[in-house]
Amino acid sequence: MANQGRILGIGPTDNTSDQRTPRQRLRLIPEVARESFVPVVPARYAANPHEWDMTRTAPDRPRAAGVPIEVTGRVRTASGRAVAGALLEVWSANHFGRYRHIEDHSGLQLDENHLGLGRVLTDDAGRYRFWAISPGAYLARPDIGRWRPKHIHMSISGGSSRLITQMYFPGEPNNETDPMAILMGDAFERNLGIPRDAGDVDVEEAYDFDIVVGGRNATFFE
Amino acid sequence: MTDAASNLLPATNEDTCGPYFPIYFADPALEDLTRFDPGVVGAAAGTAIILRGRVLDRHGELANGAVLEFWQANANGIYRTPATEGHEGIDPWFHGYGRMRIASGAYEFRTILPGAAPGRAPNVTITIFSDGINRIVTQVFFDGQAGNDSDPVLQAVGDDAPKLIARHDGRTASGAEVYVFDIVMAGPGETPFFDDLES
Ligand SMILES: [Fe+3]
Repeated sequence: MANQGRILGIGPTDNTSDQRTPRQRLRLIPEVARESFVPVVPARYAANPHEWDMTRTAPDRPRAAGVPIEVTGRVRTASGRAVAGALLEVWSANHFGRYRHIEDHSGLQLDENHLGLGRVLTDDAGRYRFWAISPGAYLARPDIGRWRPKHIHMSISGGSSRLITQMYFPGEPNNETDPMAILMGDAFERNLGIPRDAGDVDVEEAYDFDIVVGGRNATFFE
Repeated sequence: MTDAASNLLPATNEDTCGPYFPIYFADPALEDLTRFDPGVVGAAAGTAIILRGRVLDRHGELANGAVLEFWQANANGIYRTPATEGHEGIDPWFHGYGRMRIASGAYEFRTILPGAAPGRAPNVTITIFSDGINRIVTQVFFDGQAGNDSDPVLQAVGDDAPKLIARHDGRTASGAEVYVFDIVMAGPGETPFFDDLES
């Protein structure tokens, strides 16, 4: 165990990171207070049955523009235990790189068949599955021409597991210049979806993305 | 692939939630812990409070679009965890976890004043997610509570302890005690944040 807290890195070329990253070294938590820092998120059945299919806005609507993909994986703790019944909240941009979010003022093209919002629960083995449209990259810093690579946002919560992360796509030209990916260093590899054969389901591409919730989160699972 | 030193799987990297955490995922039951669920008979025991304030960046600007999560003990000082399942002090109408996305950067969380857990002063753990950062974590305490002087977290931050204590600011017409707590993410007056990975 380190005897000093971390100093958080600031994402290069990321103005918001510069504005919002604490500058002081993080403080160590006294042992007697350790458990009080581990939230236990109550199980919530917030997912609607159709939300696993983000390639359309509702089961009776047409497919959105772009490449439909399937994403599957397992959610586990660092010691390998499956996280069952966890809520995955997923959000992503459409084929053109636009979020259907009231605060996305990019002016990129919207798609009437795309919401980019979905929630699924993990099964007893910690497995999840959803369909999405392969998201477009988008220009995050027009002033310096810096793009955000294709990515899918995911939030995982349930029990003492809590993680907000992003799945990236291998071989994308903008991966190397992404400020948050740069901060991850070699560990960025863990956040890449692994392409696999789509089989006979109605998508064009498929990816495996196993998720490990680490560190502090194991407390009430071990 | 495991970490040879610890035999643990390497954790998926945390990443920023970005500016567009979906408002669609909002859950009113997680923004007001004093009532169990809108329209359901059942309310948390204890003193109703409103914890409100601003989340500010390095320039004193509101951190718009941040996501806040709250975690606290019930009025008896008991956290609802697998370890306290069946404990007589559990409040069936209180789980202690809250979440909200704050569009403007100002927040208002309705809950009950947490009881003191053994050896601790009443506190609420706050986790902040936002564009530009991963997760950051702190604990807020309440002005005038017995135990603040001897709380180990407040002692651990030394002279910065006042930055973790919410100011009492009167009472609403409906009887909720109001506490004000600004979170300064960076720069002058920076709030102490804690390292829950390295400690
Ligand atoms: Fe994004």
